[in-house]
Amino acid sequence: MSDKLIKCEINNKEIEVSEGTSIIEAFKKLDQPIAHYCWHPGLSVAGVCRLCMVEIEGIPKFQIACNTKVTEGMKISNQSEKIKAAVRWGLEFHLINHPLDCPICDQAGECELQEQYMQFGKYSPNMSENKVKKRKVVDLGSKIVLDSERCILCSRCVRFTDEISKTHELGIFNRGDKSEIGIFKDKPLENEYAVNTVDICPVGALTSKEFRFKQRVWYLKTADSICTGCSTGCNIEVDYNEEGLFRARPRYNKEINGYWMCDKGREIYRLPNRIGRLWKAKVPSSDSDKSSYSIGSVAALKKIRKLFLEKGSDGDSYSKNGLKADEAILILTAQYTTEEYEDLISFFLQFLGSKESIFYWKNNPENFDDFDGLLLRGDKNPNTKGLLEILQKKEALNPWEHLQKTLEEKKVGTIWVAGPENQKVYPDIEEKLRYFESHCENIIWWTAHPLLDSQKVWQIPIKTFFEKEGTIINFAGRAQKIKAVSFFVPSALSLSESVVILRGEELKRSEPPFLKAPRKANHFTYRKKVL
Amino acid sequence: MSRVQRKNSAAVWFLPPILKGLIFTFKKMLSNLSRKNKMLTLNYPEEHYSYGPRFKGNHILTVKKDGSLRCTACMLCATHCPANCIKILASEHESPEVEKYPIAYEIDILRCVFCGFCEEACPVDAIRMGPEWQTAGINGSSFVYDIKYLAKRDSLKGGGVLSRVDDQERHKAGI
Repeated sequence: MSDKLIKCEINNKEIEVSEGTSIIEAFKKLDQPIAHYCWHPGLSVAGVCRLCMVEIEGIPKFQIACNTKVTEGMKISNQSEKIKAAVRWGLEFHLINHPLDCPICDQAGECELQEQYMQFGKYSPNMSENKVKKRKVVDLGSKIVLDSERCILCSRCVRFTDEISKTHELGIFNRGDKSEIGIFKDKPLENEYAVNTVDICPVGALTSKEFRFKQRVWYLKTADSICTGCSTGCNIEVDYNEEGLFRARPRYNKEINGYWMCDKGREIYRLPNRIGRLWKAKVPSSDSDKSSYSIGSVAALKKIRKLFLEKGSDGDSYSKNGLKADEAILILTAQYTTEEYEDLISFFLQFLGSKESIFYWKNNPENFDDFDGLLLRGDKNPNTKGLLEILQKKEALNPWEHLQKTLEEKKVGTIWVAGPENQKVYPDIEEKLRYFESHCENIIWWTAHPLLDSQKVWQIPIKTFFEKEGTIINFAGRAQKIKAVSFFVPSALSLSESVVILRGEELKRSEPPFLKAPRKANHFTYRKKVL
Repeated sequence: MSRVQRKNSAAVWFLPPILKGLIFTFKKMLSNLSRKNKMLTLNYPEEHYSYGPRFKGNHILTVKKDGSLRCTACMLCATHCPANCIKILASEHESPEVEKYPIAYEIDILRCVFCGFCEEACPVDAIRMGPEWQTAGINGSSFVYDIKYLAKRDSLKGGGVLSRVDDQERHKAGI
């Protein structure tokens, strides 16, 4: 595409686009309504749905907007009655064999067929023949279910597997009204990007097993966020309600992920959900029958402050049980925001330890630099770059071997560990934790999910990335802001908030501590007057 | 208690309206004594008034011919419910013809306002408002009707109520 700009007129509105732009892209740029199914900005042009009909001055027949390039001085419109009728009848042909499945179809509510029928269709069907029956609930693999009846053969999913994932699993088989989407024998749709086909499917033909029947989409709100599954930092949107998060979908960002995201990244929606979260802080108990008991996280941190940070008898050094402050160690994982690292490291350096006792925990050194060529990276932490930058700035970047040496050599008082939020990507987490436990007196362990019940471990619940604000820096050094989506665990704190309490200051929460389940907004009653 | 003291002359003639009222009362008493079957009141616990077929009472979940639930768990009733009293949990059915079905369906009847929107919203005649209206219970829990009670309670004379919409017939008709 060259940089040369050409002028054209769309529905009597003038617009300048670069040379080589298709008419449908110009329509989208101007925000003019145009019906389409098969065209997707991230895929090649197929021109199979024949719905994006436009009238071009000087050309007697209608043209499809997706496969026609804009030329200088072109006058395009799609507002005449003739063209509206063409789109309407085109739509009726698409819907001839479409089953009346909307009540049980997961796509209902975000279905382009429903939306475009309401916008461009609104005909009464004239079809008197029986509908063609096809296969329903076809298993395409471990992630996706196909319903051939609902499919309108736009071929977006086929083009996705051909052009983006380049795995060529899907194809269109048979001819005429018997043609349908399918997979080849013994080759299920199992690539790392398969669920993107569910997102781009304009109807409910492809549905994700993970989300299937969990919620109707109109019960969900959508918020923008960043994927924290690996260091790529794909832009995503998450669908949630007061019960928790239900799915993550890609959000367009030209620089990072385009229109796609990987299937591993989609699983991060499970992390903030209440099942399996550490609900309250766990504090070592002196009783013999149980190793820990639960208290509120603020109370636990105040207790920690009293035990490990209050001034000793000599007045100025912070100590506990005669242990000097420099015998504390801070271990950081790259699963926090940059702001949190700033706060925690400056606090640690001020009160607890020296630059030599801060360590960075690298989870999987052997496949850390892997990259599959599209999005998926071996570094499964969202903010490795941010953490390393801060450690370099503070000159506190110590090799991991030093930690082992320190632990072997002398008895360490407290190890402060900002543990990973996504424990799955730390395969050696329990082993490491037991190793730390055997070499120190206490572990302060910030974690989102409970891990080890021990008389030495203090577990403080942390906020996940969907509950806090901050900056994360991806592999390429691109800083991205994240916003809090919702709050699921009332006593969870971010590292910055923990540091505020550890400093002995009063914690001022700017956001409500807990999202109470609101009364469901009933659109039928609320919007009655406008309906 | 304050009393309105009417000063006009008409107010003095209070006796005729009182007599008029008494005449009406005695007329009714005599007619009730002579024609007992036309009496307007009922001896309630022993006698019941039967309402018309469109009466909106307690909900019934209808069943298919094979006895399984008609409900497809589309959640349209729960969406339209203004009292937010319907809770449905959907799951995947082993038969591809059914595909989706409810594994839990609860109505909090104390919250229900008996508006009938659920009945109207249902695309497959799976929920109906029945004739029952005497909903006594021991405690709060007996007012949350579960799927078993809604579909196959004793008062439905076993088997449940058959739905008017049948998938097989619809498929045969080419829909």
